Amino acid sequence: MNLLSILARRLPQLVAVLAGITIVTFLLLRLAPGDPARLLAGDRANAETIAAIRQQYGLDLPLWRQFLVYVGNLVTGDIGRSLRFQQPVADIILRFMWPTLFLAGYVVCLAVPPTIVLAIVGARRPGGLADQVIRTFGMVGLAIPVFWLGIMMSRLFGVTLGWFPVSGYGVGFVGHLHHLFLPALSTAIWMVPVLTQSLRAALIDRAGADFVTAARAQGASEREIFWKTILPNSVLPTLNLLGVMVAFLVGGTIIVETVYAVPGLGSLMVAALLGRDYYVVQGLTLVFALATVLVTLLVDLLTGLIDPRVRT
Amino acid sequence: MDLSAGRRKKSSCGAFGGAALLAMGLMVATPALAADVIRVASPYQTTTLDPMRSAAAGNIETYGQIYSRLLRRDPETGKLEPGLAEKWEVSQDGLTYTFHLRDAQFSDGSPITAADVAFSLERIHSDKKSAYPAPLGAVDSIKAGDDRTVVVTLKSPFAPFLGNVEIWNMGIVSKADVEKRGEDAFVKAPLTSGPYAVKEWKPNEKLVLEPNPHYWRKGYPKSDATVELMEIASPETRQAMIKAGEVDVMRSVPWAQIDDLKKVETIDMRLEPSTTIYMTLLSEKREPFSNLKARQAAAYAIDNKAMTKAVTHGYAQPANTTLPGSIEFHDKDNPGIPQDIAKAKQLLAESGMQGREVKILATADAAAQQLALLLQAQWQAIGLKPVIVNVDSGAWWDATGKGDYDAAANWWYNETPDPDLAVRWAVCGSCGSSSYNTFYENPKVDELVEQGTKEADPAKRAEIYKEIQKITTDEVAQIPLYYAPNAVAYSKRLQGIKLTPSLQWTLEDTTIAK
Repeated sequence: MNLLSILARRLPQLVAVLAGITIVTFLLLRLAPGDPARLLAGDRANAETIAAIRQQYGLDLPLWRQFLVYVGNLVTGDIGRSLRFQQPVADIILRFMWPTLFLAGYVVCLAVPPTIVLAIVGARRPGGLADQVIRTFGMVGLAIPVFWLGIMMSRLFGVTLGWFPVSGYGVGFVGHLHHLFLPALSTAIWMVPVLTQSLRAALIDRAGADFVTAARAQGASEREIFWKTILPNSVLPTLNLLGVMVAFLVGGTIIVETVYAVPGLGSLMVAALLGRDYYVVQGLTLVFALATVLVTLLVDLLTGLIDPRVRT
Repeated sequence: MDLSAGRRKKSSCGAFGGAALLAMGLMVATPALAADVIRVASPYQTTTLDPMRSAAAGNIETYGQIYSRLLRRDPETGKLEPGLAEKWEVSQDGLTYTFHLRDAQFSDGSPITAADVAFSLERIHSDKKSAYPAPLGAVDSIKAGDDRTVVVTLKSPFAPFLGNVEIWNMGIVSKADVEKRGEDAFVKAPLTSGPYAVKEWKPNEKLVLEPNPHYWRKGYPKSDATVELMEIASPETRQAMIKAGEVDVMRSVPWAQIDDLKKVETIDMRLEPSTTIYMTLLSEKREPFSNLKARQAAAYAIDNKAMTKAVTHGYAQPANTTLPGSIEFHDKDNPGIPQDIAKAKQLLAESGMQGREVKILATADAAAQQLALLLQAQWQAIGLKPVIVNVDSGAWWDATGKGDYDAAANWWYNETPDPDLAVRWAVCGSCGSSSYNTFYENPKVDELVEQGTKEADPAKRAEIYKEIQKITTDEVAQIPLYYAPNAVAYSKRLQGIKLTPSLQWTLEDTTIAK
């Protein structure tokens, strides 16, 4: 029942978001300088060739007609063909989606356990030695640019020590774990401090809350109070933050994917933008929007499970 | 706050122990390189498998692996030799070329006939979507005589013709396959006539090739290894990959990485001859550089020897003319335009263009950024007002194509040793290239370009091209900067591999040392 009501609220939102994004990306892409036909045919192609290619792909039509054709196809579920590769955009995106999803999941698995541990250790004695050390390291982790960290780790653990591959996605589940370890770690190092800060602050805040004092007065053990009262009440803001981050990861692993040559959505996006592969860029934007909406939906559902108040 | 310390310690040990265990388990290294794959990492993408459709760098390199042409070039000597045509005759008047085909097959075993050859050349010559018909510009008609004979007639004698049918886009495709499947034939796995067939194409990631069992050169490819042409955009990543042994070949080594890679024992870091020239385009569509004296001032302001040293760490040669240094008839004795600040200032004063703004376009790669900065500093010194505008390559082509810029440092290369296509591309105002988007136009040069192809005597041709270089260098059609070798790093386990000056990998000659 409550799942349905959340869905009923979200569905119109989803449609509006997708429609808005479609129009904005369509316009931004077409208004940016650069011609896919030129990039396709190469430096030496002459003007007639470029014109012929533009005509073949309907790029010579007025903007509003191109948009109508695009939307018309979209409604029937066809997100178009790649201008560069002449393959359906959906096929291409599907192929590049799994490495990115795997990477996002991997990052979450690497980031969440240390976040919980570090936040609890830090919150135990706010301002204490452990807390200071964790915050200092957190600051460092946040300050290091991901691409720099990525390059350094690939040099150290990949080239010098030879422990991990420096590129690619690998074959099979273990292969994926092996190949994506460094990319996932470089991303997690940046995420953990943010999540830790959030969870630590919530823990400290909730530890002084009235309902904790009430529980203690009722004679509950400290262990019970922590696991049953403080923690569940503290994870919600962090869960929301994690949701935002995961949605961001699906579209935002561009840097790590480039540094580690992972064939994922991020590297596809960069190449499609540089090649002015309009329909691939538009398709990817839709996927990213969809991912954001789905992840926030999932977070809402989880929030409902954890916090009964949200359900009503 | 007292949060049950014992419990917490256990959980922290558990989490970290788990992560460490996972990391250790993963480190049990799977061998990075199976013995029977040759991996090439290049920043240049394969975007189509149709040899007619593109003249962009990644595609050029791919075409050479999957399509054979009528003639081929010996990778060692650079001489033209029989390809799919085992012999040919040229008529006395130089207008008719008759090619006799050898007994050869496509990758599915079907014969390569004269009809296939005529079909392939005809679509390059006259299809509207042909990316680079210029090499066949002199062709009047292409006809299949019998199954094994192709007759090409020219509108006028054309000295470089045989060399031009060897160029990368002249690959022979299967008429039956293309007519049956249309463009789809090239989307997945076309029938191929070259040393390799397409095993799998993952656009934007890699092209996997396997030896073509029906390739006409028996015994080639020498190795039965599959080949992966991998697209890796970041040079740091390519460098890490070859150092870690994950690829065998690294294309486009940045100048700054050469010394580092030279130190690696397993890597053969090579600077291979190329026909690449780096130069600065100047737009003659608008002031200041529509003015001849302003262009000459800009050229005298530049110390291209110092620039070459600074940008390429001394690995390239300073350029002296508007043409690549390694093509035939390049004039080594042309003094070029040496740096002379006083003269530059004087010329600029005479042009009346002092203090004009100069918009320098620069793309993101390191060399383009450095060149833009150095140009800016040197032009500022003579009294121009240069500003750098950063663009990506899509916007770069858009702006230069319209002449909407003042200067842009870039590079180009020539596909053959013959200078004809080079002059048509770089300095000919009536050849459809707008003199490489500079809009430089000199009717005398255009006339010499035509003469150069009609003249068969090499000594006379040399004179013609010398004259073209003199005029265009003096009139500053472009400012020559340097002649860059191809910087490529190879794993030492490969033998017989190189990148030829026409940007073709000799993968079919490559063997893997055990």
